[in-house]
Amino acid sequence: MAAVCPINLDRERLKAEVRATYAQVAQNPEGDFHFHRGAEYAAEFLGYDLAELRALPITATAPFAGVGNPFLMEQLPAGATVIDLGSGAGMDCLLAGRRVGTAGRVIGIDMTDAMLDRARRGAAEARLAQVRFEKADITALPLGPESVDIVISNGVINLLPDKTGVFNELYRVVRPGGRLQFADIVIETELSEDTRNNIDLWTG
Amino acid sequence: MIDVIREAGFRRAAVRQFFDTFRATSKEKVARKYGVQGANFIAYK
Repeated sequence: MAAVCPINLDRERLKAEVRATYAQVAQNPEGDFHFHRGAEYAAEFLGYDLAELRALPITATAPFAGVGNPFLMEQLPAGATVIDLGSGAGMDCLLAGRRVGTAGRVIGIDMTDAMLDRARRGAAEARLAQVRFEKADITALPLGPESVDIVISNGVINLLPDKTGVFNELYRVVRPGGRLQFADIVIETELSEDTRNNIDLWTG
Repeated sequence: MIDVIREAGFRRAAVRQFFDTFRATSKEKVARKYGVQGANFIAYK
């Protein structure tokens, strides 16, 4: 995948389409979308622990639409500072909050108000005070340099046309010795210009 | 994606696992056509 995809899409329109799509998911997770959602999907397709997910508020799990499982890689240590890019309804943040414990902190970053509302309700219901959510653009994080131990994300970076900007920003905020462990979409074939410019494929 | 991660300065960037994310969705056919799937990435600073 190219660092900055050679597309003719209006980036502001793309952001608006992404916001609109995920606002619909937040408001009606059972709606008709062309991607899976929910705890059962996460367990069956992605290897999450269904019992652990069932212990979380359904507010957080029902709209989950990730594409992989960051928790299958390295453990999140107690006390770590973790950020989740495009945290959605907050399911991965709650799982991260349970792992880092009260000595750690988890910051979910999202740009969709409806998802942020759900995520905050979920964190309150789960009584995880170490988890908080902020509205921000992923390419301009409201975080100091070298202030983060681990970055997680699940199916979000592919939605952003400027991947170079995203990873440069992550390099700025991650501490030396810190890491990225995230899930995203990969595409094996080179896409035609028409396909790259199809906004429905980006927002899907 | 791996190249972009490395160019930003991260080390040992790698894909760890793949997922058949679009199986049994309305996009399964197009996902198979283009080889679209979920993947887990890791990289270190």
